Amino acid sequence: MSDLSDNTPRCPFTLDRRRFLQGLGAAGAAAGLGGSAWAESRTDATSSHDVTGAPVSTTTQQSHPFHGRHQQGILTPRPATGMVVVCDVLARDRAGLERLLRILTERIAFLTQGGTYPKRDPSYPPADSGILGPTIAPDALTVTVSLGASVFDERFGLADAKPKHLQRMTGFPNDALEPTRCHGDLSLQICANTHDTTIHALRDIIKQTPGLLMVRWKQEGTVPVMPPSPDTPTPSARNYLGFRDGTANPNTDDDALMDSLIWTGDDPDEPNWARGGSYQVVRIIRNFVERWDRAQLAEQEAIFGRRKESGAPLSGGSEYDKPNYNDDADGKITPLDAHIRLANPRTPGFEKHRILRRPFNYSNGVEANGQLDMGLLFIVYQADLEAGFITVQKRLNGEPLEEYIKPVGGGYFFTLPGAIDEHDFLGRTLLEATETDV
Amino acid sequence: MSHRSLFFAASVFGLMVLQTPAQADVDPETLVEPIAEYKLYVLDNLDQFVSHTEKFTQAIEAGDLERAQALYAPTRVYYERIEPIAELFADLDASIDAREDDYENGVEDPDFTGFHRLEYGLFKEQTTQGFTPYAKQLMTDVNDLESRVQDLTFPPAQVVGGAAALMEEVAATKVSGEEDRYSHTDLWDFQGNVDGSQKIFELFKPLVAEEDPAFVDRVEKNFAAVEDTLAHYRHETNNPEAGFVSYEKVSETDRRAFVGPVTVLAEDLATLRGKLGL
Repeated sequence: MSDLSDNTPRCPFTLDRRRFLQGLGAAGAAAGLGGSAWAESRTDATSSHDVTGAPVSTTTQQSHPFHGRHQQGILTPRPATGMVVVCDVLARDRAGLERLLRILTERIAFLTQGGTYPKRDPSYPPADSGILGPTIAPDALTVTVSLGASVFDERFGLADAKPKHLQRMTGFPNDALEPTRCHGDLSLQICANTHDTTIHALRDIIKQTPGLLMVRWKQEGTVPVMPPSPDTPTPSARNYLGFRDGTANPNTDDDALMDSLIWTGDDPDEPNWARGGSYQVVRIIRNFVERWDRAQLAEQEAIFGRRKESGAPLSGGSEYDKPNYNDDADGKITPLDAHIRLANPRTPGFEKHRILRRPFNYSNGVEANGQLDMGLLFIVYQADLEAGFITVQKRLNGEPLEEYIKPVGGGYFFTLPGAIDEHDFLGRTLLEATETDV
Repeated sequence: MSHRSLFFAASVFGLMVLQTPAQADVDPETLVEPIAEYKLYVLDNLDQFVSHTEKFTQAIEAGDLERAQALYAPTRVYYERIEPIAELFADLDASIDAREDDYENGVEDPDFTGFHRLEYGLFKEQTTQGFTPYAKQLMTDVNDLESRVQDLTFPPAQVVGGAAALMEEVAATKVSGEEDRYSHTDLWDFQGNVDGSQKIFELFKPLVAEEDPAFVDRVEKNFAAVEDTLAHYRHETNNPEAGFVSYEKVSETDRRAFVGPVTVLAEDLATLRGKLGL
């Protein structure tokens, strides 16, 4: 037994510290992040403090602008960690809701740009959890606020302003929804380079909103970090089934395309206040990974319609090449029920059903049967919930992949338009649109 | 019970957490009187706790299941009120009030004693059979607690901090209904914790009222909100002695209605030590 560790192959990714730091320093410098200073200061450190010395990063000062027509965290490049926290609003009237939205705006504006917390008399509780120290770095943090259909009930007088397609999520045939991980009044999508930055942001928001928000459920996730790649566009990150995910996303650099596919506004049936917002779908999709890892590679690739290693479509080429279904009407190359072919058949007119995927992988613990509880924290955005996710998911009902996945939670939300400047607050247009003179 | 008024009751809370607290400037001498008064409150509750525990344990020893069940919640209330002091004696707190979650082997653990061990017998197994040793142990522990508290010099920080600690108890284990999971008498404990917290606040209120009237006003409104919500679940609205309905009868929506004012009270009362320079 005691020999076990000697027989265990060394992790192939274990590099010596110097090489690791040099590599990262070079990458940081290449990206214009000025990462050399810490590299010099750390590479020669040999004291015993190194064991518990904080791991270093060159990207803590990355920040994304908070103010703008749209909220951050949608077209923003997805960082390595993210979570969705769904809350119920405890405020009981419009004044309370407005206070909540103003506090959220103020906290997010601070947290995403970084800064220093005020010091307090030590006989008081401190102003902040302190888990990132007295001065916080932005670390590419984004916090995206969205509202569930339940907020548009009788409590706040918002019923007449509900976005046209916003509704309570209903189960699809393969779903096994758990009530404790579904729905809610308000979702916070919190993303950052490191997990602790997201946790810090969440604890700050909870601390600042007592009596206004109550956490209903939360799911954290990550995506695998890759070494810098010369390829453009960057290869998509992989999910816990080992496949690249998000390849067919619409081009987020194309403003006109984003205006038609992602941002609500063009549809005359949508309320005017919602212009610049987006429909957010969150799904917790359990993956049966042990069973998947025992499935033959050819079956895995047929289920997705892509090569596992490269992400290329089965019809050939590389990851971002368009799959060719025209010469494959009976599905001999890409099965007709392959995931990517069902989700996007590439037929004329289907462009309007495209959605923007921004998922994370999650790992929660162990099921009673000893199998790992892990899967995909699926997050997508679209201008039209019906034309987007609901249409696509209906097409996927019954797909062979269902044998290996089980959606267990989630909800539909409407991501508020952005706060345009420091005088604005998230949700202002909604509250103004529903003001009544009494 | 009216949902409309429940929501109204819950809507008065509010908190300005971003305020910068003023430096405390309280003469330590002024703490002497409220501390002494608090000790009288604790001793009075302990006195009642002892006599109620006598009746409760006698019912178990006499094999009177129905009576023992009826006395379970009314007895615990006195302990729940004075928990900030009772918890100073960790050994007794464990043997009197530990829950099965505190033991790796749960209910089967030989060290698991006290109220919640008896609760399991009375409400889950529906029997007093074999519980006499637990009843005798409880009586011994409660008597021991009373004599130890009588000899105790009350630490001011512990007393003042107790106001917030009791609200943390409510937030952590009462709202979820896990404290009394077999008897579902959580609202009794809930009321006990709130009473104990409010007593401490009332005793020290004169020392902070002048400097921060908004704080006092907010705390009073939130206590009133909790009190109003609790009253909806009493058998007799204005009579706490008449007891409460089962916590199972409290809907999810109404459980959430508790969370708002309880959380704001916990945040606010956590600054009481700071305000008094403790």
